[in-house]
Order: sequence, then structure tokens, then C-alpha cells
Amino acid sequence: MSAIVSRAPVPAVPTASPSAQRLWPWATLPVLFIVLAASVPLLSDYGLEIAFRLLLLITLAEAWNLLAGYGGLVSLGTASFFGLGAYTLTKLLSDPSDSIILAMLAGGVVAALMALLVSRAVFRLRGLYFTVGTLALAEALRLFMVNYRGLGGASGLFLAVDPPAQREMVWLALGLLAFATLVVTLATATRFSILLRAVRDDEDAANQIGIRPFRIKLIAFLLASTLTGMAGALQALKVGTVEPYGTFGIQWTVAVLSVVIIGGQGLRLGPAVGAVFLVALSELLAEYPALQLALTGAILIGVIRLAPLGLVGLVQRLLARKKGGTR
Amino acid sequence: MWSFDVVANSVASGVLLGGMLALTALGLSISLGVMRLVNLAHGEFLVAGAYLAYYLLQVTGIDPILGLPLVGLALAALAWPLQQWLIAPLSNKGMEAPMMTMFGVSIILQNLYLLMFTADTRAIDTPYAARALHVGPVTVSAIYLIGFAISCVLLVSVHLLVSRTSFGRELRASSADPVAAAAMGVDVKRVHGLTFALGAACAAMGGVLMGTAFSFTPTTGATYLLISFAVVVLGGVGNIFGTLVAGISLGLLQSLAAMVLGDGYRDLVGLVIFLLALALRPQGIVAAKVR
Amino acid sequence: MNAVLEPAAGTPLLRAEGLVKRYGGVVATDQVSLTLGHGEVMGIIGPNGAGKSTLFGLLGGAFAPSAGTIEFNGEDITALPAAERARRGIGRTYQIPRPFLDMTVRENLLAARFSLHPFEAGRVARAACDDILERVGLADVGALQARGLPLLRRKRLEVARALALKPRLLLLDEVGAGLVDAEVTELIDVIQGLRQELDGIIIIEHVLRVVRECCERLAVINFGRKFADGTTAEVLASDEVAAVYLGTAHGAPKATPAANETAATPQVDLAPLVSMAPRQDAAAPPLLELDNVHAGYGQARVLNGISLRVRAGQVVAILGTNGAGKTTLANVISGTIKPTAGHMRVDGQDITGLGAHRIARLGLSQCMEGRRIFAPLSVEENLMLAARDVTPGEKALRRDLVFQLFPDLKERRHNAGTSMSGGQQQMLAIGRALMSRPRLVLFDEISLGLAPVVMDRLYESLAVLRAAGLTMLIVEQDVERALALADEVHVMEHGRIALSGPAAQIREDPMLRHLYIGTAD
Repeated sequence: MSAIVSRAPVPAVPTASPSAQRLWPWATLPVLFIVLAASVPLLSDYGLEIAFRLLLLITLAEAWNLLAGYGGLVSLGTASFFGLGAYTLTKLLSDPSDSIILAMLAGGVVAALMALLVSRAVFRLRGLYFTVGTLALAEALRLFMVNYRGLGGASGLFLAVDPPAQREMVWLALGLLAFATLVVTLATATRFSILLRAVRDDEDAANQIGIRPFRIKLIAFLLASTLTGMAGALQALKVGTVEPYGTFGIQWTVAVLSVVIIGGQGLRLGPAVGAVFLVALSELLAEYPALQLALTGAILIGVIRLAPLGLVGLVQRLLARKKGGTR
Repeated sequence: MWSFDVVANSVASGVLLGGMLALTALGLSISLGVMRLVNLAHGEFLVAGAYLAYYLLQVTGIDPILGLPLVGLALAALAWPLQQWLIAPLSNKGMEAPMMTMFGVSIILQNLYLLMFTADTRAIDTPYAARALHVGPVTVSAIYLIGFAISCVLLVSVHLLVSRTSFGRELRASSADPVAAAAMGVDVKRVHGLTFALGAACAAMGGVLMGTAFSFTPTTGATYLLISFAVVVLGGVGNIFGTLVAGISLGLLQSLAAMVLGDGYRDLVGLVIFLLALALRPQGIVAAKVR
Repeated sequence: MNAVLEPAAGTPLLRAEGLVKRYGGVVATDQVSLTLGHGEVMGIIGPNGAGKSTLFGLLGGAFAPSAGTIEFNGEDITALPAAERARRGIGRTYQIPRPFLDMTVRENLLAARFSLHPFEAGRVARAACDDILERVGLADVGALQARGLPLLRRKRLEVARALALKPRLLLLDEVGAGLVDAEVTELIDVIQGLRQELDGIIIIEHVLRVVRECCERLAVINFGRKFADGTTAEVLASDEVAAVYLGTAHGAPKATPAANETAATPQVDLAPLVSMAPRQDAAAPPLLELDNVHAGYGQARVLNGISLRVRAGQVVAILGTNGAGKTTLANVISGTIKPTAGHMRVDGQDITGLGAHRIARLGLSQCMEGRRIFAPLSVEENLMLAARDVTPGEKALRRDLVFQLFPDLKERRHNAGTSMSGGQQQMLAIGRALMSRPRLVLFDEISLGLAPVVMDRLYESLAVLRAAGLTMLIVEQDVERALALADEVHVMEHGRIALSGPAAQIREDPMLRHLYIGTAD
């Protein structure tokens, strides 16, 4: 099953030797994160707000890119795992001495367990049935939470402890993104990526060469859901309250999908570029949220039609053309 | 525990409601069956019909039921260019691209509604809508009965259109083998456009009925999308009578669930049934429909 | 690697017993049994649509058989999915290559390698893959995306990827199609080289030279059944092969007609169905003209400069082996595929690039390969659909004529289009093509998968149409029948017309046999 849109052939851009290419992320990314962490104290309150949103969005987008872009599993169920992580943290943190990190990890684990539970059923569905199935799952979970009194019903739950200061929240978000980046880099730069993309491109042919598609898809699904759950947990910590509409609502799914498709799905830099673009857009149109969303939808349609590999793909194509368009 | 009356009323309203659900799902079913298009904006077309009828009533005083053909035509006229400009150019790019494009359309429409009509809950008020009718031991709202009747008429009409007319032949041929149909002289692109327009019209008309029986907001579409999908999957993609049977069954099950568990669980039960249907359907049937 | 207990001596590498595969009412594989010993190379030949690739699908594990068993090295693998069979050492290539398009050539091989050796050192894996790429001649494109490869190189990639598994048994599906003589020699060398490292190879082939030089044993498959199995020399000399490749009128046993199929074609006046052109003088432009047409699919170039003319009232046959480009030519003429270069003209008017439905409305009708009957429509509806822009009365008249021509269809007029036998569906396809009162009908491989006696019936009806003055373009595998009907013949090879002329002349031309069977030895 190929990715969301079929790709035009990307000419091979001459690069450094393979070993240099593989080492590159391991060398530069840690430095990047250290620099970012050091610059956090320099940000204003407004800057911290934006930074948190951006970092969380990139984390979610990285997870979705792994699943949909690299794995070909177009899921509309992001909200389910996000919400599960959020509620888990809210339930677990009852005392100021409780470890936030552990609560976040717990959120990820709960999300992963749900993924495991539905995997057998959901992976039997191919293509559009998979997509609609994940959407139905997210919506069903939301409705369940609305009705289930045990977890607060429609009004939700309040966090028992005070959320940390803004600066700490941003460091936590940065830490989560670093972890997510590590996971996704491992998944996309190692041989697992080859197996995953093989399953994406042609599941039957992958079967024929000894790959067991179910296992590969499951690993990607578990990784993505864990990261999404942890992000949800962090968001719950920030807002201090969870309720079905805000945490299990489709707006998270829409945001993530738009970020990745506009940024460039299946490309390493897609999520980051897309997130920056969309956060900038939402700040520009902060007064008009409905207009901003409508515009996002329009850009989404435009990208699918005119630049299927997103902004990053567009830049790559321009660069390749500049270098003489080798084939 | 439950008196006969309560159960009987539940069954009756469930069945009637189910008929209306079948109409709302019809458009989705034929789009999927003929064009392999997952119209993720289907719910928004439904809500568009509801808003249109609402304002038609407010501004001109035309009764929503009488105004059904107008609403249907209006949505068909809007849907046709949408298909020709946004969907048709993507015809050779697989199934996900058009699906995501419709997702984009749904985002745009939802927010347009928000901007134009605010988030207020609305309902189309007619004097007869809430009137209770007593049919034997059973009491139902008049609108349910009217809605059911209209839905059945429309479903039968579409069925006749598809099975007896030359357009229907072209539609079925295009869905079975678009390449061969073109070689036989069928203008497949035009057939797809008309099919999409027909689907949108059905969705809009279903939306008017739903808007008269229940209330709606800019975001109500999402739930209707999934319930419609449940009906489509249960009834068989492109199978019109199957859609009717599935709609009635689902309506009935939802109604009984609401009676037993509480009204809030109505939609949840619908979704759970959908998920079960997806999970239990033999691999072969699902795989055969998917390219 | 494969932790399988070594079986008792004398156990064959592969044993398939009574394999059956049914799709609804169609039996694609009918009680096929075969055995492959260790170190053997076996060939499988047969016409298009015979069920050869289905057999590979069963052996490779792409789908499960409806009945029968498969043993690999003494182990029953009938219930094992494809991935498990690959891990036990069965490698398979697809007839139409299925590379991982968005991955590089090297990554395609690494995928196979890593699926079996997930923890192997990167350098070792890459070296092994590069070695294989070297052997199949793809070393220069290791870093290129598979999507950028032309068809013939994709076929090599198929083989390379299967080899990356280090299989014990390799199933090669039509790897020789479309190759020129020098490339065939290369291919044969590669296969001979593989004998050392593999335990067994089964090759489906149309290029008989490959079969002759690589395979010890040969089996012939037709209608899903195995017709012959013996040494290569024996089988190639037999009547079966001659019948399969040159025409079924050649000494094949005459089967008795099935009880539900009527006998002779009645005499019918076909004027309302056949648009007869007035007698044309030589100066008038031809009805259909192709002028240096090139066409292909994506990167694959299939037609390399086709030029031909069809005059009103002519019957022209297009012959050629598989891979020559016959069906692509048919698709270009019907408008299903657009040419990448060259022109197409009807009555002198340029119609290059016109959509399929427009070309149909110009009066060019097609009887498509594989029939393509619309399953949701009844027999009658299939016919009525094709009659365009005429009054209901006229439609009914034409339909009745088709029923007169093919009474079998009249009996079944309300049945689903695909519920009939293959031969009857072909009648429906022909009738459907006539309903639009065409000026030219293109018949694309109507004999595929049909028994000789059914083909007799069909070709009788074609003779009737010819007598009525219908202009026909016949793309055929069955050489003898086509030659009997046609005025003019073109024989294709590698996307070009290699031989042209009047039918009587071509029939005697030794080039014809050469093009199909290979050099006479």
C-alpha cells in the first residue's frame, strides 16, 4: 500500500558517502537539542507558549509521519491515543512528589496497550477501511468517555497537582521531542525503515520475500501510539484538566495530519517544517480561528494536488533541478 | 421492567429513524461503490442541507419537506464543480489523495458554517414536526413517519434510476470496469460527476429530515459520517436495498440501546456495531472492494 | 539458516499433488501435479491465460489452493503463507514486476536480506547485495529509485531481489519476454550460473530458446490443466506445442460440443449492425491510420514506431508473440492509452490523444482482451449499453439481430453477464461491439482460454461479419485462424512490425515460424 499520494521520481541527489550520511543525525541533533534547551530561559512568556505548542505538535507529527508517511498506515485515530495518555497522567498524578516522567511514560504505555488490543482487527483492514476504522475508534472512545461517569463523563477530570512553571513545561516538551526524535530516527535510519517501507510499497511482494507485514506494522503502530500518548499526557499536565471534547476531539487529528501532509509526508524534515508553518499561520490568524482552520483545509487540498510531497518535497525538487537534475 | 408501550415505541421510532439513516447513507454508498471515493465531507453535505432548509424556511417560509427538491438540486449544483475541479484531476493518483482532499473540504465547510451561522444549535421548526401520532399501541413523532416515508420513496427512486434507466446502466458499468466502459463509449468522467452530485443531493435531503427531527450544529456532520459509514459497510457498498435494511437495523439497535443504557449511548452503540462489522467481516469481502 | 531436518534421500525438492484453484465459477488451476527433483531445472509453457502464473501463485504462497497439497523438501507447506515459504527457501518473481517503487534498487535487495538476517552486519549485507546486482547487470543503478527503472531492468530487479533471499527453489515468471537475442544469451548465462547455487528452478517462458537451453524437463499448461510433461526435446517436438503456438486447428483432438451450446451460425442480414462504407477509391484517406506511433506504460516503452493502414472493408490481422506489444497496440487504437509520439488518424482526421469514449463514438469499436463483460449488468443490458444515441426502437432491432447471430445469448438474456461460459461471454463481447453499428471492430485476442470447438463457432461468426463487409482488425495468438480470415497481416516483434503482407504470402514465409518458435534447428 503506497503512501497518501503517489510520488514522482525524485532524482538521486549526489550526497556524501553512505557512512557519513548515517552518522550525520547522531552528530548534529544532540547539539541542536542542547542549544535549544539552553535558549529556553531567554524566551518571553509568549515565546514559551509558542515553543510548547510547537514542540508538542512536532512530536505528534513525527509519530504520525512514521506511521502514515513511512508505514503507509493513514490513521485518523491520533486523538484516541492522545486522549488515553492525557487521562492516564491525570489519574496517576495525585501527589506533588509523584514523578511526572513516570506518569508520562505510563500514558504512553496505556496508549500502546490500546494499540495492541485493536491491532489484530485493524490491520486486517486495508487502505480506506483502515483509515475509517481508526476514525470510528477515536470517535467511539470519545463518546464512551462522555458517557462513562467513572472518568468524569462530559465534564472530565481535574489534575490534582499544580502544573510546573512554563519554563519547566517547555523543557519537558523538548525532552519529549528529543525522545521522539531518537525513536523516529532509529526507526527511519536503520534497517527497520527498509522493512517498513517495503510493506508500505507492496505488502504482497514484501510477503513474498519473507517479511511478515503484521509484525512490522505493529511495531510502527506501537511506537507511534506510545509517543502520541506521552504527548497527550504532557498536554494534560499543561492544561490541568481533561475532558472528552478537548482531549479526544478530532482537532488533534486534523492538526497532525495537516502538519505532516503540508510539511511533507514520508520525509524526515516534513513534520518540523509543517509544524513551524502551521503554528506561524495560527499566530497570524489568532483572532480568526475558524478562518485559520478553513485556510488550513484549503492549503491541504492545494498541497495534495500540486505538491504531493509537501513543502520539503518542493524544496528538494528545486534543489535537484539546480544541481542539473541528475537521473 | 419496561412496559410494552415503551418497548413498542422504541422499536417503532428506531425503525422509522433507521429509514432516514438509510437515506443519509445512500449518497456515501453510491460514491464509494461507483467512484471508489471515500467522501469524508459527507457529513458536511448533510448539514449543508439542514442549514439551507432552515434559512429557506426563515426567509421564504417554504416548508422544508416541500423544499426538499430545491435543497437537493442546490447541493447537486454545488457538488458537481467540486467533483470536476478537485476530485477528477486526482483520478490517477490512488484512493488516498481524493479521500484526503475531501477531508480538507470537510474542514473548510465546517469552519465556513461556523463563520456564517455561528456555533448555535439549530433545529428546523415546523408545526407538525413534534406532533405525536398514535398508530395502534404505538406513539411516534409525525416527522419520523413523514421522514421514513420520504426516505423510502427516495431510496426506491434511486434504485429504479440505477436499475432501469440508461444512466443507471452507465453508472453500474462505470463502477464495475471504468476502462471497458470508456471503450464502449461511456463518458466515465461525466458519470462520476453526476453520481457525486446525486450522492450530495441525497445527503442534503437526508440532512433536512434530520434537521427537522433533531437539532444540528456546524460539527454534527462528523457523527453522521461515521453512522452513515456503518450503514454502508453493513449493507454492502453500492447495494441500495442493503442500505435500507442496514439503516433500519442500525436505527432499531440504536433505539433499543438508548432505551436500555440511556440516550447518550445511542451514537456509541452505532459506532461499536460499525467496528464489530469491520472486524468480523471476512477478509475476502473487504479485500474485494478495496483496490 | 533453514532449521529444517534433512529429509530422507530421494525426496524431491518440490512435490505438488492435485492442485486446484477456483475463483467463483472459474477454475483457474485444474488438478495440476508436478514434481521437481534436486538440481533440476524445469520449464512450463502454455498460451496466455492458461493459468501458469496462477500456478506460481499457489507454489509461492500468494494464495491458498482450493484443493491439493504442496510439499517442499518433504515438508507440507500447503497451509503456510508466502512469508514462511520464502523463509524456507522459495523465491518467486512476478510476471509483471512489482519492485518497491519508492525505494532504491539496493534497498529492494536489502529488504529481502534483512527479512531473513535482521542482525547481519551492514557491510556484509551490502556486499552480498552488490554482488548480486553485479551478476544481473544492475550494478550501475544501485542508488536509483526503482520507480525510475524501465521495464526490462525491473525484470532483472525481480530476479535479483528473489536471489537476495538465497533461495533453494527459484520460480522465474517470463523473465525472457521482450529481450533481443543478445540479451536472451545473457539471461541464459545467468540461469546456467544459478544452477550451481540453487537446488531447483522452475521457469515459465514463452521464449523457447531459453527453455530449450536451460530446462531438462518441460510441462505444458493450458486451460489450467497440465497437458504434457517430459524431457524438453520430447515435448517441444510434440503436437501439443505446435497446437498451442501455431493454432489449434493443428491436430488437436476434436472435442464434442457441450450440450448447451448450439451448432452452426444461422444466416443473418447484418446491415443494421454493420456500417458498410461505400466503395472507396484509392485516393481517399484510409479508415484508420497509425503513423509512427510510440507508446508505453510509465518508463516502459512498448511500441517503437508502428505504422499501418486499414481501408474500409479490409480484414487486417496483427500477430506476434507475447511481449511483442499487440495488446498495447489495441489499447492505443481504442484510446485506452495515449501514444507518446506519432499520430493516429481516422478518415484522415488527426485523433491522436483523443479519449476512449470519443474514439468509440467515431465508430471504432473494441472487443477487449479478457472480454471485460460488466458483471452487474445482464446480458441484455450489456448489449443495450453499447448502443449509443439511437432510438429505443433501433436499439431493440440491433439487439434482436445480435440474438439471431448468437442464439445462446437470447436464451440467457436476463442472466448476469458473467454467469455464462467463456465462449458465450466472448459472443456477448462481440455482440456488444456490434451494437454501436461500428465502422471498424478491433478484436483483441478473442481466442484466449477457449476450447477449439468454441473457437470454430466464433470464427464462423467472424466470417459472416466479414462477408457483410465489416472492417476488422484482429489481434490474435492463434496464427492459423487469423491467417484464414485476414486479407492483410502484420507480425509484431519488440514493438515494431517485423513482417507485413497479404495473408497468403505470409503463411508461406519461413520468417513467421522463426518469429514464433525460434531458429529452426
